[in-house]
Amino acid sequence: MKRENQYLYPHPDPSAAGSSSSTGGKTKVCWEDDSLPEAGMDELLAVLGYKVKSSDMAEVAQKLEQLEEVMGSVREDGLSHLASETVHYNPSDISNWIENMLSEFVPPSFDSNLQPLPPTSIDSFIPQVGPVDFPVMLDQPKLSPIFGGGDSSSSLPDYDLKAIPGNRIIYPQNQQQQQLEELSSSANKRLKPTAPPTEAPLTTSTRPVVLVDSQEAGVRLVHTLMACADAIQQSNLKVAETLINQIGMLAASQAGAMRKVATYFAEALARRIFNCYPQESINPSFTDLLLMHFYETCPYLKFAHFTANQAILEAFSNKKKVHVIDFSMNQGMQWPALMQALALRPGGPPAFRLTGIGPPSPDNKDRLREVGLRLAQLAETIHVDFEFRGFVANSLADLDASMLELKPSETESVAVNSVFELHRLLARPGAVEKVLTVIKEIKPEIVTVVEQEANHNGPVFLDRFTESLHYYSTMFDSLEGSTNSQDKVMSEVYLGRQICDVVACEGLDRVERHETLEQWRARFGSAGFESVHIGSNAFKQARMLLDLFSGGDGYRVEENNGCLMLGWHTRPLIATSAWRIGSSQ
Amino acid sequence: MAPTKRARSSDEDPANRGTHPNRGVNEDVLFEILKRADARTLGAAACVSREWRRVARDERVWEAACARRWTEASVGCGEERLRSVVLALGGFRRLHALLAKSFRERKTSSFCGAKWGRDEVNLSLCLLSIKCYERIKVGGL
Repeated sequence: MKRENQYLYPHPDPSAAGSSSSTGGKTKVCWEDDSLPEAGMDELLAVLGYKVKSSDMAEVAQKLEQLEEVMGSVREDGLSHLASETVHYNPSDISNWIENMLSEFVPPSFDSNLQPLPPTSIDSFIPQVGPVDFPVMLDQPKLSPIFGGGDSSSSLPDYDLKAIPGNRIIYPQNQQQQQLEELSSSANKRLKPTAPPTEAPLTTSTRPVVLVDSQEAGVRLVHTLMACADAIQQSNLKVAETLINQIGMLAASQAGAMRKVATYFAEALARRIFNCYPQESINPSFTDLLLMHFYETCPYLKFAHFTANQAILEAFSNKKKVHVIDFSMNQGMQWPALMQALALRPGGPPAFRLTGIGPPSPDNKDRLREVGLRLAQLAETIHVDFEFRGFVANSLADLDASMLELKPSETESVAVNSVFELHRLLARPGAVEKVLTVIKEIKPEIVTVVEQEANHNGPVFLDRFTESLHYYSTMFDSLEGSTNSQDKVMSEVYLGRQICDVVACEGLDRVERHETLEQWRARFGSAGFESVHIGSNAFKQARMLLDLFSGGDGYRVEENNGCLMLGWHTRPLIATSAWRIGSSQ
Repeated sequence: MAPTKRARSSDEDPANRGTHPNRGVNEDVLFEILKRADARTLGAAACVSREWRRVARDERVWEAACARRWTEASVGCGEERLRSVVLALGGFRRLHALLAKSFRERKTSSFCGAKWGRDEVNLSLCLLSIKCYERIKVGGL
């Protein structure tokens, strides 16, 4: 069976499991196939050494399914004749080869075991080769449904990336599903060690995708994205390149959030493959604009600001002089609300000092100063004693407590605020620890931290890719409800940049190194901070805020051990936490 | 005869400067009436004429409309301070609009007469301050 085995299932070297290009190479050498696809031949399969006419793909798929079932259902000795007596001619011509194989089996005795094929309605007809047994996928932990329950039209009820065997996709689910699953899983078990790797997300390049049920195309799109990322992980850039084209086409067949997410991820993957990440072309005014639209469209930033402000307000109750150090100054959108709350608090407003830290701006415009002036104007009209100082720093780690001109803590209470900034420090080892040390020197009443709730900083690229695919899909889903389309597009561009960073960059360039609340908890804990519980006021206000946004039904606020999390349906997306220096310090 | 009589009397009486000869309602009286009106009425009143619009958009009228809808506990501080801050941030009419728009469709409150609690008021004040801030350009309000 060895020789046939090699042609039946191109078996890669054990050391290169899952690597289809080396397999393709082997088969090519044996068969002297030209690497150029012949007219009408499917491109992808040609890369792997098989010749199948694109027009035949559907038939081939059907026949392979039949073959698999038949092989799965034979008794022990039923296959042995294949090893010894059968002669196989030209297995790269899959269509004919399968015919031969099928004719080897005695038809009548297997009738009862053969599942009736579905009616040839276009909808249930997926041109796909073989069981979708994706070796890499099997090792992934169970991933939550990517169509997170947002639009019902695009959600797959039992969608689980790990558990999709081929039959399940091909036949509509109401047709004898149990038996099919059993059959395919047993067949898979037997065939698994030699199953063809990474052919899963194949599509016909010439067959119009319109024919395919878009749910299935959505599944294939995800598979193709994963396959591409896997290929990159294995450094198979050729395969990755081919897959990128497929992604483009599949994405075009989708609608709404899925298409946009796929497009952004495809672009990021392409950048990674071709090593072209745009470095200095980012225009800070444009970034500001994107941020403003993101701020208006969806509640994430507002949630972050309002919950952090509530924690700061409570920490500052009864204090006469307060000082806030903001690591994430940007446009200063967080502070008008705090100033208003301070102005209206029962005891009257305290003296309010704000120190804003921001990056240097390439166009020499003093952004921090402008923001400071605007805030000062607002403060004046509501009669709050206000002082502003701006600091320009390339990285938060460049800061020193002495630069901040702190007053002694009896006279002035300090709060440190960081919204989506701390994760950038993780690009440089030791930076976060230094910043936490500086914060401790500042001796703040409270430290408010808002971060994305995701692990996009794992060491393995494929894991990061998978995580971020789910995370951003959920985020894009949540944007779908918004009515203003310009806002929506800008917000998507804003998120798209983050996607690009997570997927395409490495080293110091990769700044979007998000980590989960648990990871941050561990970090703060070991640096000597203790958690401050965010009160129910913040929770109520947050809930109310979410109702204001269209699509408000999908947003959820959760309390997690004193921290607040905002999520879309079941998936938490950002987390606010508050800290103070531990009493043992 | 009657209209002319009224017209003459309005010409003679400087205190009645807001009265149109044919309308018959004194501006001060109108003000007192609208101070007791709800938001819907105020909106309708503002469409009647220029004079009515002026009165209907007076901040005091809207302050009264707001005060009817929230309780003592909803606002943490004294009336005067609230007034000065809210006026600085854009006024009661805007605040009322925010409150009404934001909390109109809440499932818990079934009528327009439902009271706004502290959280609603706080949230709306935050949003008002943000809108005011967005209007500020460097160099002038």
